[in-house]
Amino acid sequence: MLFEVGQVEFSNGPDRTSAETPSQKSQGQIHVADFNMQPTNQNSSDCGSPEHDLHRRLFLQGTMAAGAASVASFSGLFSIPAIAEETKRQGKKCILLWLCGAPSQFETWDPKPGTATGGPFGAIDTSIAGVQISSLMPQCATMMDKLAVIRSMKTEPTEHFQGIDVLTRGDAPRPPFTRPLLGSVVAEQLGQLDSPVPQFILLDPCPEGNEFKQFKAGNWAGWLGAEYGPVRAGGEYSIPDILKPDTISETDHADREALRKFFSRKFENDQRSKSAASYNAAFERVNGLMSCAPLFDLNELPADDRRRYGGGAFSQHALQARHLIENGSTFVMVANGMPWDNHVFQHEMHQMLVPELDNVLFQLVHDLEDRGLLDDTLVIAMGEFGRTPWLNEARGRDHYSKAWSLAMAGAGIKGGVVYGATDEYGREVVDGELENRRLFATIFSALGIEPHEEYDLPGLPTFYRVEDDAQPVSEILV
Amino acid sequence: MFIRPISCLIPDFVSVPTPNFKIVLVRAVVLGTFCTVFCTVFVTMVCAADELLPPADNAAQISGFLQDKWEAAEMQPAAASSDRTFVRRAYLDLVGRIPTVGEASNYLADGRSDKREQLVRVLLHSEDYVQHFADTFDTLLMGRGSSKDYDERIKHQWRAYLERVFRDNRPWNEVVNEILLARPEKQEDRGAVWFLFERQDKYQQIAEAVAPAFFGVRIECAQCHDHMMAAEIEQAHYWGLTAFFNRSKNVHTKNGPRVSESAIGGFSDFANLEGDSSPNVLTFLSAMQIEEARPKPDEKQDDSDDLYDTASVEHDPRVPRFSRREKFVSEIAEDHPLIARAFVNRVWAMLLGRGIVHPFDEMDSVHTPSHPELLDYLAEDFRKSNYDIRRLVNSIVLCRSYGLQSNRSDGMDDESLFAWGLERQLTAEQFARSAQLAVRGKFQNDEPLIGKVRQTLTAVLPDESVTTIKDALFLTNNKALNDFIKGSNLPDHLIPRLVAFDSNSQRAELLFETVFCRSATSAESGAVEVYLQGHDDTLTQRLQQVVWAMLTSAEFRFNH
Repeated sequence: MLFEVGQVEFSNGPDRTSAETPSQKSQGQIHVADFNMQPTNQNSSDCGSPEHDLHRRLFLQGTMAAGAASVASFSGLFSIPAIAEETKRQGKKCILLWLCGAPSQFETWDPKPGTATGGPFGAIDTSIAGVQISSLMPQCATMMDKLAVIRSMKTEPTEHFQGIDVLTRGDAPRPPFTRPLLGSVVAEQLGQLDSPVPQFILLDPCPEGNEFKQFKAGNWAGWLGAEYGPVRAGGEYSIPDILKPDTISETDHADREALRKFFSRKFENDQRSKSAASYNAAFERVNGLMSCAPLFDLNELPADDRRRYGGGAFSQHALQARHLIENGSTFVMVANGMPWDNHVFQHEMHQMLVPELDNVLFQLVHDLEDRGLLDDTLVIAMGEFGRTPWLNEARGRDHYSKAWSLAMAGAGIKGGVVYGATDEYGREVVDGELENRRLFATIFSALGIEPHEEYDLPGLPTFYRVEDDAQPVSEILV
Repeated sequence: MFIRPISCLIPDFVSVPTPNFKIVLVRAVVLGTFCTVFCTVFVTMVCAADELLPPADNAAQISGFLQDKWEAAEMQPAAASSDRTFVRRAYLDLVGRIPTVGEASNYLADGRSDKREQLVRVLLHSEDYVQHFADTFDTLLMGRGSSKDYDERIKHQWRAYLERVFRDNRPWNEVVNEILLARPEKQEDRGAVWFLFERQDKYQQIAEAVAPAFFGVRIECAQCHDHMMAAEIEQAHYWGLTAFFNRSKNVHTKNGPRVSESAIGGFSDFANLEGDSSPNVLTFLSAMQIEEARPKPDEKQDDSDDLYDTASVEHDPRVPRFSRREKFVSEIAEDHPLIARAFVNRVWAMLLGRGIVHPFDEMDSVHTPSHPELLDYLAEDFRKSNYDIRRLVNSIVLCRSYGLQSNRSDGMDDESLFAWGLERQLTAEQFARSAQLAVRGKFQNDEPLIGKVRQTLTAVLPDESVTTIKDALFLTNNKALNDFIKGSNLPDHLIPRLVAFDSNSQRAELLFETVFCRSATSAESGAVEVYLQGHDDTLTQRLQQVVWAMLTSAEFRFNH
């Protein structure tokens, strides 16, 4: 039961029932007349999001751009695009299964059975007549009509660090400015203005990973600014302090927050303080973020789903990615350190890794389809290059960027297409040669993002989202 | 070796300081209303142009410059703050914490007409001043670090060195030279090496730290190209500044950590965006190049002993006869006008909420001062006073802008006018020390709460006051603050004292006096009473929640 005295609502003594939800409790009403305060716009906000109020206020003051940037600087937790961008939003989303270390095309999408380079695994027929993939991927074989496979990737870098840079950002570095990650661009362009859920999330339980580790320590969001960097979760990683302390009940927690808000808003209004406005806005976001803390808890996911996806961290995080996308996130990147870099015992390692990928991709695409989300959600499975047709002395395949494969499904992508081809040994691309720029133009186009937008940075040559006017591959676009 | 007159050291974008008495003369003519004050000053100045004004008179000078701008903008500044506001503000700024209820009421009861001057003087000579300024300058010069970094800074005497700078009021230019040369003659100065040592032979990082810390300019973007807008910051300066330090090497000696220096090496070329390459000669900003024989590309240099002298301190590393660090100190840093300008601008920003040049560490031709004459005046006065830090702080705190109310009235939007008191977020140390004082009545500088808070609330003098979600999550849910409040349960702590009271209105009163340093309005008192009402059996917990709500409200979080 709530009772109201003066202006702030609190629980009525220690014996209160717990029927109310925390969100009801936390709305300590402040009566304008009693305190001679400015209106707080509480009624004008349709979805209850404080951001609406904040943005409207800043917009009216004509300081939208600067103001939005400053309140959005939540150490990378959120991306809040400017209002002008809101009209462009199409509700598209993206999951990147980042196969770091670089998987072998021979054991996935471009098998060469019975040849000198093909390795021990066979090839199997798929749901598309005449198209075969590795026998390690029986489940994906049944849904080739939903996938677009590119077998003709040919890119420059042959080392991980450079390869990761090019395939997560779309291009090689062009100093002095750092190109933002795909996830940062998508979150900035398509991110939901009023979602409490972080818009770009990296699920990666592994603190290590050689060059990937080095990459993770670098600059993610580049010229877009740190607020478009990912929120990191998964495994040991979680958003610090997102859970309420155990030492306080839900009720008391909501009560004390209402009291805090009362004191703090009064100060903001009395002082007409912009600093206090930013301060109070951050606490409003905290309430939203705490409410979505369960999204980051694997144990909250249905047991059946968890079983279907399989036991490994990569599988579980792919499921979590689906869950986050369903609940308002825009870009989720799933990685697991750098497991694909099999310079040693390539076949044995891939025999473990590829079936996991096969299942994850199958479950994910079907789940998204069942939920009606596949048309709006682009799923990409790729690494930073491919692997050599020949084996080294340790029975590993080394780095190979001259002819490799990847797969996509979902938003904007035509299913059942195999684009490009390699020669009979998989040594060279013989048809549809594709480098990273056209790949990224294709990804952006699939998501409805203009691929060639200009970035004008003072005193520098113009940068483009995709350089050189590289054109998307129309054959795999809807 | 190149020797040049001092005027060459002044970068193009720094206007040459006008001699004081001229400014005073102009002001005395222009400002009829202030005539008495300024004529007195004028006479003083003309009679003895090099004599220093006492801080209060110096503050009147500063106020004059501010007044000029208000008149030019045809606006009235905010009213003077109340004594209550002033006492909280001054304690936070000068000694890094809120006043106790007793300290605040003593000040309110003080009937002397010069009570502000008296208070400021006392605070500036206290040990708390030393600790607070050492905290702030540690962050400004070294940045935040891990708790291990903080332990190392203590262990290797950096912290003690900083404390001594403020305790003994060391001239700032001497401090700068000691830190950059990093060859302490005296045992007690040995911590001075830590500025370079902690950066572990990362020469670009050293250059990127030296430029803002001592010269008030940022040069990072000049790594790859000349500064796009501030043309005076060239790519050559980035690599030149790096070269002054790139023969240095961390060594462990019997005397502890030292930064040795080689007499050879450190030559390289840097390439611009067009791919043209240039040699990294010894130069910085518009200072002329320091000549140094440059070996030919294939020539091998011989690191012979006769290139070195023995160190004057036993066991210290030998010293190269041509020392790049020494050249930097003697030829570039010594008397460089930006050393004084950067320092006064930074102290101004600490005390007034933004620099005269804003941001305070981008004093380049793009970021022009809001009050150029004031900046010239402060810098010149600081130099004349032999870089007297305490005097500078004292003067600024007594100027008119510092004593204005912080609530902005309609039409006041331009922060650069300093027409109202700009709120500043407390640093982690100010926050954690003040929280201790409020909740426990006393504080300890080694209380773990301080270490925990500064790992998250990292900002010191941010360009704009922005609260991150991370900060708000920390204050809301982290154990550090919640457990600290809960653990404040001794009889002389606030919450047990409140429990012992008879009524909730008494409780509300003491809470506001202690935490917010003011009395509660009836509405606020009412809110607290309602919060506590009906919770007799969980009164302690309810009070903990009220204390949390106050400590995490904007009113406590800001200096205003």
